[in-house]
Amino acid sequence: MEKKKLFQKFTVKDIVFLAIISAVTLVTSAVMPLVIAVPVFGIIQVALGFQFSVFPAIGVMKVRKPGSVVFVAIFSGIVLVFMNPVMFACLALCAVIAEAVSLAIFKGYEKDAACFLAGALYLPLSLPFLHLWYKAIGIGDSGEAVKALVNPKPLTAVLMSLAVVAICCLGAFVGVKISKELRKSGALKK
Amino acid sequence: MSNIKKSAVYPLLGIAVSVFVLIFGLITAAKDNRCCCIFLAGVFIVFLLTGFHRACLRVILPALAVAALFGLITYLSGRGFDKALSIGLRFIAIGIAVIPGMSIRPVDLTRNLNALKVPRGITLGMLIALNFTPLLKAEIKQIREAMKTRGTGSIINLKILYRAFLIPLVMRLVNISDTLALSVETRGFTLEGNDVSVYKKVSPRIKDGAVAALIAVCAVGALII
Repeated sequence: MEKKKLFQKFTVKDIVFLAIISAVTLVTSAVMPLVIAVPVFGIIQVALGFQFSVFPAIGVMKVRKPGSVVFVAIFSGIVLVFMNPVMFACLALCAVIAEAVSLAIFKGYEKDAACFLAGALYLPLSLPFLHLWYKAIGIGDSGEAVKALVNPKPLTAVLMSLAVVAICCLGAFVGVKISKELRKSGALKK
Repeated sequence: MSNIKKSAVYPLLGIAVSVFVLIFGLITAAKDNRCCCIFLAGVFIVFLLTGFHRACLRVILPALAVAALFGLITYLSGRGFDKALSIGLRFIAIGIAVIPGMSIRPVDLTRNLNALKVPRGITLGMLIALNFTPLLKAEIKQIREAMKTRGTGSIINLKILYRAFLIPLVMRLVNISDTLALSVETRGFTLEGNDVSVYKKVSPRIKDGAVAALIAVCAVGALII
C-alpha cells in the first residue's frame, strides 16, 4: 500500500470548511468583550476555551491535514487584527505549536487522538505565550487584567490553568465525538 | 452608474491605522488620560469627516456604554477617578480602532491581498470567514428558536447543548460548506496556478494618504498639547 504524504495540499472544500468553522468560532466567542477587563489570570481562556477547542477539533477531524488548525487561527484572526493584534499573533503561533506537538507524537491526523490533542492544546498555549509576551515588553502602567496575567497569585494561576486545560480537553473531546457521530451517520465525509 | 460602494479606506492602510490607533490609544490611556482623550477625539473627528461616519455612529454608543460601565466599576471599587477614566478610555480606544475595519469591504481586502500575491487559499478563507459571520449568527438563532419550539430546556445543560444545539449546528455547517465549496468550484475558482484576472484593482487614493497624515497629526498634536 502506498504510504500517504504527511503534508498534503488543501482543496477548495477543505479551505471553505475551515473558514466556516473559523466564522462560527468567532460568532460563538462574542462573550469575550465582557471578560476582557476582568483582572483574573486566564479568565479569557476560560470563557473561550470550549469554543476554541470544539470547533478546531471538528475542523481537523474533517480535513485531517497538517495546517488545518493554523488555517483556523489565521481565518479567525482577521477580525482580531483590528481589536487585538497581539492576540492574533499569539493564536497563530499557538496553532503552529499545537500542530507541531500533535504531528510529532502521532505523525499525522489519521488517528482521532491526534485531532483531539491539536484541538485541546491550541488555546491553553496562549496562557504561557501572553504571560511571557507581557513580561518581555513590560507592563508599565497597564490595566489590571494585564497585571493579573503577568503577576498572578500562584494558586489562582495554577487553578485557572487547570480549568483552561480541562475546558479545552472537554471541548476537543466533544468535537471529536460530534465528528465521529456525524461520520457514522454519513453526514461528515472526508 | 455603479451602485457598488467602495471601502472607505485602502484595506491594508485601514489595518495599519487600526493597529496604530489601538496601540497609541492603549499606551496613552495608561500614561496620560488628557493626551489619550485629545488623540481619540481627534481620530474620531477625522474618521467622521473622511467617510467613516456610518461605522463611527454604529460604534460610538456601545463603546461609550461599555467604557462607562467598566469605568464606574473601577471608580466604585475605590481606585479613583483617574484610574476609572483610564479604564474607560481603553475601551473607547478599542472601539475607535475597530472603525476602519468596519468600513473595509471584505471583497476589497481580498482583492488587495490577491494583488500582493497572498496565497488564494488564505484570501478565500478570510473572505468566507468575514462574510459568513452574519449568516452563521442567523443560523445559530434559528437553532435556538427550534430548541425553544421543541421545549428542550436550557442550553447550560451539557446534554441539551450537545444533542439539541451542537449536532444540528455542525450539520448545518457541513451543508453550508459543501454547497459553498461546490459553488466556488463551479465558478472556476482553483487554488492552483498563478494567472488570475483581477478585474477590479484596489489602489491607494489621495484620500487614504490624507487619513494617515491626519491620524499622525492627531498623535503628534496630542503628545505636544
